[in-house]
Amino acid sequence: MNSRRVGVERIFSWSALDEKTRVGIIVSVFLLVAISPAVGQSIETGWDIAESGVDSNLNAAAVHGNETWVFGDGGVMLSSSDEGMTWSAMNSDTTADLISADSAYDSMAVLDSTGSVLMKQGLDADWTNIGSPGEGMVDLVLIGQNSLILVGVDGAIWRYSASNWQEIETQFTENLNDISFLDENNGIACGENGTLLFTTNGGISWNYREAPTGSSDSNLISVGYYNPYRLYAASSDGQILSSTTTSAQNWNLVEIESEGYNTSLDENLKSIEVVSASIILFAGPDNYLGVSLDGGNIVEHNIIPDGINTSFNDHAMIDYQKGIVVGNQGVILLTDSSGKNDLVGFEIPDYGNFGEFSEYADDMMLDGFKATVKIVGFGILFGFLIGVILAMFKTAPTNLKGLVEGRPNGIVRTLGGGLAAVGLYLFWEGVSGFSELGLDGIEYIFTPVGDPRGFAMFGLGIALTLLGLLFLSNNGKFSKIEIGRVTLNPWKIRPLNSIATLYTDFFRNTPLIVQFMFIHFGLSLGMEIQDAYESVFGDMGVDGFDYWLLGESAFISAIFTLGLNSGAYQCETIRGAIAAIPSGQMEAGRSIGLTYMGTMKLVIMPQAIRICIPPIGNEMVNLVLNSSLAMVIGYAELSRQGRLIIAVTFQIFWAWGMVMISYFVVTWTLALLLRRLEEKTKIPGLGISGGA
Amino acid sequence: MSEVVLSIRDLEKTYPGGVQAVRGVSFDVHQGESVAIIGSSGSGKSTVLRCINRLIEPTGGVIELGGTQINTPRANVNEIRSRIGMVFQSFELFAHLKVLENVTLGLRHVRGMSKSEADKVAMEVLERVDLLERVDAYPGNLSGGQKQRVAIARALAMKPEVILFDEPTSALDPELIGSVLKTIRGLADEGLTMIIVTHEINFARDVADRIVYLDKGLVAEEGPSSIINNPKTERMQRFLASMNEEH
Ligand SMILES: Nc1ncnc2c1ncn2[C@@H]1O[C@H](COP(=O)(O)OP(=O)(O)OP(=O)(O)O)[C@@H](O)[C@H]1O
Ligand SMILES: [Mg+2]
Repeated sequence: MNSRRVGVERIFSWSALDEKTRVGIIVSVFLLVAISPAVGQSIETGWDIAESGVDSNLNAAAVHGNETWVFGDGGVMLSSSDEGMTWSAMNSDTTADLISADSAYDSMAVLDSTGSVLMKQGLDADWTNIGSPGEGMVDLVLIGQNSLILVGVDGAIWRYSASNWQEIETQFTENLNDISFLDENNGIACGENGTLLFTTNGGISWNYREAPTGSSDSNLISVGYYNPYRLYAASSDGQILSSTTTSAQNWNLVEIESEGYNTSLDENLKSIEVVSASIILFAGPDNYLGVSLDGGNIVEHNIIPDGINTSFNDHAMIDYQKGIVVGNQGVILLTDSSGKNDLVGFEIPDYGNFGEFSEYADDMMLDGFKATVKIVGFGILFGFLIGVILAMFKTAPTNLKGLVEGRPNGIVRTLGGGLAAVGLYLFWEGVSGFSELGLDGIEYIFTPVGDPRGFAMFGLGIALTLLGLLFLSNNGKFSKIEIGRVTLNPWKIRPLNSIATLYTDFFRNTPLIVQFMFIHFGLSLGMEIQDAYESVFGDMGVDGFDYWLLGESAFISAIFTLGLNSGAYQCETIRGAIAAIPSGQMEAGRSIGLTYMGTMKLVIMPQAIRICIPPIGNEMVNLVLNSSLAMVIGYAELSRQGRLIIAVTFQIFWAWGMVMISYFVVTWTLALLLRRLEEKTKIPGLGISGGA
Repeated sequence: MSEVVLSIRDLEKTYPGGVQAVRGVSFDVHQGESVAIIGSSGSGKSTVLRCINRLIEPTGGVIELGGTQINTPRANVNEIRSRIGMVFQSFELFAHLKVLENVTLGLRHVRGMSKSEADKVAMEVLERVDLLERVDAYPGNLSGGQKQRVAIARALAMKPEVILFDEPTSALDPELIGSVLKTIRGLADEGLTMIIVTHEINFARDVADRIVYLDKGLVAEEGPSSIINNPKTERMQRFLASMNEEH
């Protein structure tokens, strides 16, 4: 017993736990991590193979009226009038490779690799060759029934209108890859090294748009313009760029949630097709097709039909669900579901069945459980730290007399004068702002909110003025002041104690739920801390420890609120424990020459903390229970998850029951740990004996 | 006579409530001397001791340690206290620390010794108070006599210029008093400078070189230990008589 080493490091060791506790912990962990069920479900491709009848590489596709057209190497032209199911070869009068096509304003145009453009000006018109502005053109876009724009290498832009070719001179020289127009005037082109060019006058003049950080070196291969505020672009190595500002002013890299909040799909891309404000289809050279329904946040990797292995080159969508995609070796696939994978065997779950309910709920519950444990863990540490500091503040004996005594009176008075002057200045500055608030009578109690800065100056000003006047009046007697029947001795004021009292009074006399909302929404504390972190250490990224710790602003606000609040309560408990340590202990510590703080740290606190483990344990359990209020600031802890589960399943009894059990597991484990801690740190002759 | 270690001149202490506990006490303590302070309850004995190591601030008078005044606001109290040992009536051991750690705490955190150095010094003093076999015990598991000897060892370890004992045996059961008194006597014989406040009149007479009799905050009589046998003042006679009745 006597030789047993008592130290915190041993308390949580697994081998030191007795068997009952170990089994308890294992069982509770097991209960929470429910085994995921196996059900006969499968996922199938959302694309069907269409017979093209050719094996040339198919480079471009377009929808023209009721027909769908496909263009490929060697002048191959195919058309389908049944939405892509059957195809027939068309005569093209050329053997050059057809590389790009567009259809709009009832016209259709195709670009070949020599730079010549074939055009069908009207639904029933014949193909006519409108000539070539030169080699090196890669993409074209129609900006009217008889007008179009070509882009190509070295920043070449040619405009065809009124049967004339006109070269657009710009100072941009990067190779351009793709061009897209919203209407006759507004259009965007993209190219190598993050080049984004924007026009508002039908391509006569072009302005540069800055690519988002992280993509300024990217080769932007495709761009899509959906509406005035929705533009997307993609890079050859899988970045998705979006702009939601008019005139494409600002561009952002989309964080792809399905790729772990990465900013790249990790797939090579060839082309994107924007079919609605948020639905985007992706095609890539390595047999890749993908679709996102939410602007790129979640991108589903399409399953490719068996037997297809190609490089996909272009989409042509009839509507946002129906359409085709073409690729090398004559591949044409068609879909009527935006290419989304088919879920076969998936049924709508019956949440009236507890098994199916918990299958849905347990993952969410586990997330909530982890989130709760996370704020509780940090909250406890933080709260305890604050509690200890405040308790030391509250018990600190230093009063104003102690601060002044023994210093030359001249210095004290000079300091007093200075403080009074600063105090008066602050007071005046603070007060003079109040009148602008337009308050009346009792409304003045809200000045701390209306003018926080002014109120802080006002309060600090009063405190400093009084302190300064006191110091000025110092004559070394430190006598008390009598005002009528009331006597008080300002020299006995203990500044640290006053600060701590103000703090605890404030936090204990306002509702926690309001503190949560005030700190998170009012002060935006979580966001401020994130911003401060990012301005010092740079972007915290989307994974790693700093993201885990600071990635969620509600989490930061929650631990601060819980810690600050719990600290105010723990402070009183710890202070009580300090008071319970006989005064002789402080004297004994000081008598061997330790300083006040040294004695506090080495003698008083180690004993006080041991004494207050049980009541502090109660505070910590309270903290766990209080953590449920973090749901009001949108933190996904257990209670909030409970509400979300109910929103989907409508199983109120089961959901709240599960939440309750989960809380019990947290508090009960905590109580066990604390009991263990108490036993382990128990010292003969210290504190009330009892227990084990 | 050898040099004066501690000199007290006109010491006064009036407690905030207005109690004049000490009203002008003067005496000297010489190198190697043991001085016993006796007097009835409330006569101000503890107050004098606590003023000496500045656990309380005297309201008047001068205290000099090794020739320099120590009761000025500018003096470094922590340094002064580490030069003056104090043994309390109620032991005041640090309950969360083992015997050895109780003794080494000051050595390590005030004297700045390494753990091994401090342990070495502590083992030496614990040997002097005959407690070597209990170094790993917690104070809660010791007898009262053992506790007080640990407290003495804790004070001794700091190599103080003077040790103050405030009724070191008053809280002990009669059968445990002997071991503590024996330890103190041993220290006196070794030539340690000490002030002992005690109600053990016989012990004071046998061990102390000099007796200071306090009455109502004043030194009523002072002299070699022989004055216990022949008190001059009537007050001291009555005090001694009352003490003898008790035993
Ligand atoms: N902290 C205090 N505040 C006010 N008065 C005090 C305080 N401590 C002691 N006194 C008073 O001062 C006087 C002297 O007390 P002191 O403790 O010095 O006596 P003592 O000689 O040590 O007595 P005892 O033999 O009982 O220990 C007593 O009247 C006591 O009531
Ligand atoms: Mg006393």
